[in-house]
Amino acid sequence: MGQPPVLATGSGGAGVPAIRAVGLCKSFGPIRAVDDISVDLAHGRIYGLLGPNGSGKTTLIRLLVGLAAPTAGSAEVLGVAMPSRDNLRRIGYMTQADGVYPSLTAAENASFFAAAYGIRDASAVAQALDVVELADRRDAITATLSGGQRRRLSLACALVHRPPVLFLDEPTVGVDPLLRIQFWEHFRTLADAGTTIIVSSHVMDEADRCDELLFMRSGRVSARGTGAELRRAAGTDDLELAFIRLSEGPEVEP
Amino acid sequence: MSLRRTQALFRRVVREIRRDRPSIALLFIAPLVVTGLLTFILREGETPTIDALIVNQAGQPGTLVAAELTRALEAEGATVQAAADEVSARTAVADESATVAVLLPADLATAQPPTITILTNGLDPSADGAQVAAVQRAFLAVVASAANGAPPTIEHTTIYGVPSSDPLVAFAPALVAFFAYFFVYLLTGVSFLRERTGGTLERLMATPVARGEIVTGYSLGFGLFATLQVALLLVWVIGSVQVPSIGPLPAFAVGLGVDVAGSPVLAFLVVVVLALGAVSLGIFLSTFARTELQVIQFIPIVLTPQFLLSGVLFPISSLPAVLQPLTAIMPLTYAVDGLRQIFVRGADLGIAELRFDILVLVAFAIGFATVASLTIRREIA
Repeated sequence: MGQPPVLATGSGGAGVPAIRAVGLCKSFGPIRAVDDISVDLAHGRIYGLLGPNGSGKTTLIRLLVGLAAPTAGSAEVLGVAMPSRDNLRRIGYMTQADGVYPSLTAAENASFFAAAYGIRDASAVAQALDVVELADRRDAITATLSGGQRRRLSLACALVHRPPVLFLDEPTVGVDPLLRIQFWEHFRTLADAGTTIIVSSHVMDEADRCDELLFMRSGRVSARGTGAELRRAAGTDDLELAFIRLSEGPEVEP
Repeated sequence: MSLRRTQALFRRVVREIRRDRPSIALLFIAPLVVTGLLTFILREGETPTIDALIVNQAGQPGTLVAAELTRALEAEGATVQAAADEVSARTAVADESATVAVLLPADLATAQPPTITILTNGLDPSADGAQVAAVQRAFLAVVASAANGAPPTIEHTTIYGVPSSDPLVAFAPALVAFFAYFFVYLLTGVSFLRERTGGTLERLMATPVARGEIVTGYSLGFGLFATLQVALLLVWVIGSVQVPSIGPLPAFAVGLGVDVAGSPVLAFLVVVVLALGAVSLGIFLSTFARTELQVIQFIPIVLTPQFLLSGVLFPISSLPAVLQPLTAIMPLTYAVDGLRQIFVRGADLGIAELRFDILVLVAFAIGFATVASLTIRREIA
């Protein structure tokens, strides 16, 4: 279990990191989906979790959110050991599947999840729908929304309780380029206000919008650093090539 | 029509079904189990126990008939005792220490023909039918051996309800219970499966919502619709509204107009408790299903045996002995019995049997809810 090459520490100040994983492992039978990951992630930054399909991104997120029990190791979010039901109040999680109720309206979905997080404030729902530009579709039945609109609604449901830590599992899949830019602008605004954001993706062109990248390969963090640092370390301007070089293997999905 | 494409489709279908193990099992095993069970019940059913009482009100002429009748009934496998009078016989049949009483009238020797009264409990008409049939056969034997007298008129009366005036009185409560149970299970099972497969449960588990809250929320939500369904069903079964003829339309009645001896509100409560148990059963069984089709496939395993065994169709006392203990673990058994106590006997909460039925149904509902909430795990993958 060699440690991944750490190219930048990431962690800014003293005190508790936003997210801490220590020797985190998750096996499904013989498959090690997450294999001995130890990371500290600082507050108010955007972390990109990059890797091919099946590299363990979703499993890592589920371990950090407390939806899966680790085979070994431990995870902490905001200094609280996961799983913790109470701590989920401070965590937003946008799943890879839309995870919204098709027969409810957009507003009903958002206010349901708001209530699940213990938020009764109607303005929180309105604001979340505003952020994803669904305010004019608030009364539309979710099943009638387009794929991109459902994705935006899914994001709204993860934001509605204004969590200090936000996990986004492939949030921009099926979102058109213009809206994607707006998504990222919004992520930046949230991060500037102190929100820690973990975004998983298997496309590299979003990588440069992150403050720091974690390359994932076969359940491990194969490299970590800013886009510039990783390019320099790999000796290439192409991030995809950098990924392949730093992951020490040829079989990487584009 | 392309042979290749058709063949590709055929192969795909076969492959899909082959990988759906539960479907395969149900396709081949379920029909065997259900038909086997039905055959077993019909063929190997227990002859009902007959504990007969003979009340001789005719004095000396009746003694001979009573003795002949005793012999004939014992030949049928019955135990026969004499009872002093009609009142003590009624008490014995009511508290089920006797299954049937035969009253020989005072005018047995003089009337042409005399009227013999057969008294049964009345809660379960199909079980009563077996008792009456046995006594009738015994009488035929007596008459045949006597060879002279005219066959007596046989009159059947019951402690509770009116015998065989309306078979629905005993059958309707069983159907109400079964359908409430069936539809609530199906509705909850499918919609909770959607929650599991649609990704919303994953998301819900990432909120501070507790498992017990989910089960309670579901029970309340589906409980509301179950309540409405049961209310409508009971109104339909009990009510009868005469619609006068309008123009060429003849007059007709809406509603089945089944007589209820007891309180419809109490009947309603029994079915609602049963239905709440069905909500949790649906949540629990959705754990074992991956598709909506599989939720439906649980019906022959979970619901059909209850339909066959819980007294809806066949009296529990007539089931094969090995199957009888099974009825004790089926919620429907208690609901059917409780509803019959109310419909036929007119039982209220003062009746111990009804209190027991309701208590067991509440225990089932709580038990299923506990098990259901245990199946909702934060770790879903």
